[in-house]
Amino acid sequence: MDIQHSDIGDVRKVILAGRLDTAGVDLIETRFGASIVPAGKNTVVDLSQVTFLASMGIRMLIATNRSLSRKGGKFALYGATPAVREVIDTVALTELIPLADSEVEAIGIVGG
Amino acid sequence: MRSTEIVDGRLRLVLANTLAAVEDGRSEIMRFLGPLDAMAQNRLEVLFEELVSNTIRHGFAKGSGQSIHVEVERGPGAVTLVFEDDGLPFDPTQAELPEGFTSAETARIGGLGIPLIVKLSSALRYEELSSRNDTGFHPRNRTTVSVAAQSAAAEEDA
Repeated sequence: MDIQHSDIGDVRKVILAGRLDTAGVDLIETRFGASIVPAGKNTVVDLSQVTFLASMGIRMLIATNRSLSRKGGKFALYGATPAVREVIDTVALTELIPLADSEVEAIGIVGG
Repeated sequence: MRSTEIVDGRLRLVLANTLAAVEDGRSEIMRFLGPLDAMAQNRLEVLFEELVSNTIRHGFAKGSGQSIHVEVERGPGAVTLVFEDDGLPFDPTQAELPEGFTSAETARIGGLGIPLIVKLSSALRYEELSSRNDTGFHPRNRTTVSVAAQSAAAEEDA
């Protein structure tokens, strides 16, 4: 599991790569939160290289979204594969966190 | 992972009470099944991850010698996984589905595996067991899940 972040204007962009299974979340969760919450920026997360997502990964996204929202920041996901999208849809995560088809759309959602 | 064998064409695994066993078991199962259509493979991996990790986290005493027995069968058009464990009874078919999300502040972070187990399986059955066998393993729970699946080659031909 790997993570990178950068800024596009005032928007924080985070790229996750690998499997967000129990072991993957264990490895990445602290760094994921650290790359997003302290900055408090509107944030988009690129899921195009995430090959697996289950409840532990969903939990990580929800918890980080909560911490970011307390700082006034907005959060959106994009680029999910069909398999990852099916998991997101099954738990209805998009009731809470938008899922866009592209980076441009995601940035537009968070107001960048 | 404690053991792996193939009996009558079915893969049988015995997983230890550690989260590392989840990855070991997953790899073994995917190797046994061979390439499947991508969505079915993902559903199987999610179901396996959710059922095994839930048992290890909530059904077992930490550091206990308890184990999870998994049998995998590839039938025509479907893959079936049977999980047996000697942990606390847990019936996923009766577990309450979490309510919808309404806000970031109130969003529930627990219980999210339940909708994945219920909705990604084509069939789901639970039995609470009480019979004893001669192996020294006395399972209390049996959960059977099936996922409709075709080979990756069949998916390409379609």
